[in-house]
Amino acid sequence: MASAKFEREYGQHLVEQVLKGKMTRRQLLVRASVFGLSLTAAGQLLAACGGDDSGTTASPSASGAPEPVIGGSIKWIGPAPITDPDPVTIYDQGGIVLVYQFLEYLIDLNNDNSLRGKLAESWTPNDSVDVWTFKLRSGVTFNDGSPFGAEDVVTSMERVLDPDNGSGALSQLNGVLSPGGTKAVDDLTVEFSLDKPFADFPYMVSSGNYNTAILPRTYKGDIIKNPVGTGPFLLDQYTPKQRATFKKNPTYWGKDEQGRQLPYLDSTEYIMVEDNSAQNLQLQSGAVDLQPQTVFQGAQALFQDPNLRVDIYPGTGIREVAFNTTVEPWNGANGKQLRQAVAYCLDRVAINKALYDGRSNLGYDTFWDPAVFAGSPPVPEERAQDYEKAKALLSEAGMADGMKIKLTFAKYLENPQLAQLIQEQCKPAGITVELDQLSYDAYYAGDDADYYGTTPWINAAMTITEWGSRPAPGIYAAAMLLPDAVWSSSHWDNTTFVDAFNHYEATVDEASRMELATTLSQTQQDDTPIMVPFYITQLRTQKKNVYGVQGPGSFYCDLSAAFMTA
Amino acid sequence: MLRLIGRRLVLMIPTLILVSILIFALAEVFVPGSVGRSILGPYATEEQVQLLNERLGADRPIVVRYASWAGGFVTGDWGESALLKVPVRPLVMDAFWHSLLLAGFALVLIVPTSIALGVFAGLRRDSLLDRAITVSSLSMTVIPEFVSGVVLLYVFAVWLKWLPSFALPPDGAPFYERLYYLILPAIPLMFLELGYIARMARVGTVQVLSMPYIRTAVLKGVPRSRVVFGHVLRNALVPTVTVIGSQVGWLIGGLVVVEKLFTYPGIGRLMVEAALAHDIPLLEASVLLVAVVYMVANLIADIVVALLNPRIRMGG
Repeated sequence: MASAKFEREYGQHLVEQVLKGKMTRRQLLVRASVFGLSLTAAGQLLAACGGDDSGTTASPSASGAPEPVIGGSIKWIGPAPITDPDPVTIYDQGGIVLVYQFLEYLIDLNNDNSLRGKLAESWTPNDSVDVWTFKLRSGVTFNDGSPFGAEDVVTSMERVLDPDNGSGALSQLNGVLSPGGTKAVDDLTVEFSLDKPFADFPYMVSSGNYNTAILPRTYKGDIIKNPVGTGPFLLDQYTPKQRATFKKNPTYWGKDEQGRQLPYLDSTEYIMVEDNSAQNLQLQSGAVDLQPQTVFQGAQALFQDPNLRVDIYPGTGIREVAFNTTVEPWNGANGKQLRQAVAYCLDRVAINKALYDGRSNLGYDTFWDPAVFAGSPPVPEERAQDYEKAKALLSEAGMADGMKIKLTFAKYLENPQLAQLIQEQCKPAGITVELDQLSYDAYYAGDDADYYGTTPWINAAMTITEWGSRPAPGIYAAAMLLPDAVWSSSHWDNTTFVDAFNHYEATVDEASRMELATTLSQTQQDDTPIMVPFYITQLRTQKKNVYGVQGPGSFYCDLSAAFMTA
Repeated sequence: MLRLIGRRLVLMIPTLILVSILIFALAEVFVPGSVGRSILGPYATEEQVQLLNERLGADRPIVVRYASWAGGFVTGDWGESALLKVPVRPLVMDAFWHSLLLAGFALVLIVPTSIALGVFAGLRRDSLLDRAITVSSLSMTVIPEFVSGVVLLYVFAVWLKWLPSFALPPDGAPFYERLYYLILPAIPLMFLELGYIARMARVGTVQVLSMPYIRTAVLKGVPRSRVVFGHVLRNALVPTVTVIGSQVGWLIGGLVVVEKLFTYPGIGRLMVEAALAHDIPLLEASVLLVAVVYMVANLIADIVVALLNPRIRMGG
C-alpha cells in the first residue's frame, strides 16, 4: 500500500525492533498500520520476525461466525441525534452512528486502534514527517453516481478546517494542519503539508476524528435531504427522534475476503431511544437485534440473557481525575508530593470491580500504557494502594497531620460513585475529601466571554471529567497535557514533557519513539498532573444470531459485513 | 349555552397571552448560561458558541424575540428547531397526534370502567363489594407509572412476549395494529386514573342517592334502572366529568415516564428532550400547545357539565 521504498525501509526497521525485543508483534502491526503498510506487508514482516501470529487480533463477533447470510434486515437501537446530523459538526453518538452508514473516512480504526485503509489505499510521510501523501482508492463513486477523487478530500478537509464552520475536528487538527495545507496532486493523490511534524497524523484523518468524513465536493450542509456518500448503505427514511431506515447501496465498492459484494444486509432500521434501561428492555424483549453501545450500569441482565451476546472490547475512554497545578494545594514546591500521595491512596482494582465488574483495564496515571495502546513502553510503576508511601509523601510535603481537599464533578454516569470511592480510599491516609457534586450543566457552565477561564471543569482545584475514546496516547496528550491545550484541567506545564512530546511526534524511528515515550510516561506518572485509574472497556450487545458487526469504541457501528442467521 | 361557550372562548385569549409570556420568559430569560453553549456542550470553542448564538438569533433584544415568536405561532410559523434544523410545527403536531391517540385509547379504557365501578360501589355503599372496589382502585392509584410500567413490560413483553415492548408500530400499520401496540402503555395510565375517577363517581352517586328527589322517585315506585340511569348517573357524573376534564391535559402532555419507558414519540417526551437540549423553539411551541389542550379540555368538560346540569346552562 505505501510506496515500495518506504515500505521496505520502514518494514525492515520494524522487524529489527521486534528481533531486538524492543517491540512486540502486536505493536508492530499497529505501527505498520499507522504508516500505511498493507496487511500483506505486515504479515510478511511478522513472518520475517519468526514465531507464530499470536499478535494478531480478531473481532470477537467474527470469531467462530458462520458463513455470511446474504440479504435480510436488522433493527438496531441507540440514542437519537442531538442535533441536525451535519457530519461537519456532529459530536454525539446518535449523529455519528447514523451518518456512518452512508459516509466513509480515509482511514478506519480497528478494534485494537490499528488503522485500516478505507477511501485511502496508502499513506506515507516524508523524512521530516511534516508532509503526508495519501493514495486514494480508485473506482469509488458516491451514491449519486459522481466519482470520488482527490478534490472531494481537499474540500472535505478545508470545510472542517474553516473556523466559521464550527467543526469539532479542529480540536485535533489545530496546530497540526491549517487551511490550504491539503492539496490534490492528481485525481487520486492528496498531499497534507503539516504545520509541524506529526507522526500520529493518520489518526487525525481517520474515523477516530469523526468530523473528517469524506463528503462530495458539492456538499451544501444538508446531509439529510441529500444523503450523498460512498458508504455501504443509503439513507431511506429519517424521522427525527424516532427512527431511520437504510437500504443497501447497490453500487458500493466494498467486497469481503471471498470477493462477495458488501453489504450483506438488504436494509437496517435504527430505532432512536435515549434511555439506556429502555434500550436494554427492547433488547431483552427481542424487539431489536443490536445495541452498538451498551453501558455497564444496568447491563447485568444483558450478560445473563441466554438470547443475547455481549461483545467486550478494550476501550480507551477514561475518567480524568485532574489536579489543577496552578492552585492550592496542588501548586508550589510540595504540589507533586501531595498529588502522588492521593494517587497512592487509590485501590484501582477495587475501583474497577465496583464500577465495571472488574472488566475494564487498570490505569496507572500515564497514557503510554501497553495494555491499552500498543507501541507503548512498559508502565514505569503499576501503582497500587500504599498508605505508608502516601503518609510519607504527605509528611515530606509538611502535611503529616493530613489535609482537606475538594473534588468537583458532575452528577453524570459513574462520576458520583468514583468520587465516593476516592473519598473513602483517601480517608485512612488522613486525606479528607469534600465532595462537590454539581449538575451536568453547572459543571460545564461558564461565562460566555471567557468560557475556559471560568468553567468549573477546567478551573476547579480537583475534578473528574469524562473523556471518550482516543486512538493514541499522543492524541490524548495533545488535547489535555500540553500548556496550550484548551481542555487542560490540570494546567500542567512541564518542560521535559513538552520537549519530549515535540520530538516524539516528529520522528518515525521506533527506537527513538520508544525512548521518548518512556520519558513521557515517566514524567507524566511521576509528576501526576492527572490520575487515570482505568481505561473503560466497551460493550456491544446483539442477539446471538447477529454476526459481523464492526467498529471500535462507542461511536461507530459498521454494518457493512453484518448479517443475521435464522 | 352558546353564550357560555363564547364567553369561555373569549376568556381563553388573555389566558393564552399570559401563558405565552410565562413560557417565553421561563425558556429564554431565566435559563442560565448561553443557548449556544448549552447546545454545543463543554468542548465547543467560544467562536463556535458565538456563531450558533448568532444563527439562532439568541443575540436579539428580548421583546423582538417574543413578538417574532408569538406572531409566528398565531400565523402557523412555529419556527425551526434549533438543533434538528427542521420546521417545528410538523415535529410538534406529529408528537401531539401520537399523544392524542394514546390519551384517547387510555380514556376509552379508563372512563367507562371507572365510572361503572364508582357508581356500582356507590349504589352498594358500605358493602363488602364497595370496600373491595375502593381499596383495590386506590391501591392501584398509588403505584407510580414507572413501577407498574416496568413490571408490565417485564411480564408481558420480556417474559411472556405476548405484547410488544415498543408503543410505536411499524410505519404504515393499520389502525387496529396501532391500538394493539398501545395496550401495554395504556394499562399503567388506567391504574393511575381508575381509583381517582371511580372515587369521584362513587362520592357523586352517594350524594345524589341521599337527595330528596331520589327518595321521592323510589317511593313513587319508579323502576330502579330508571332511577339509576335517569337520575343518579346524570347528576353523579357532574364532578366526575370535571375531574376527567382536568386529567385530559395531563394524559396528553404529561406522560413523560410512560412515553420514555415504552419509547413512544409523544409530546411529553418531546418537551423534556427539548428542555434538556435547550431547543427553545421546540420547547416553547410544544408547551404552548399543551397549554391550549388543557384549556380546550376544560372547556369541553364545562360544556358537558352544562349539558348534564341545566342550572349551570341557564345560569351561564
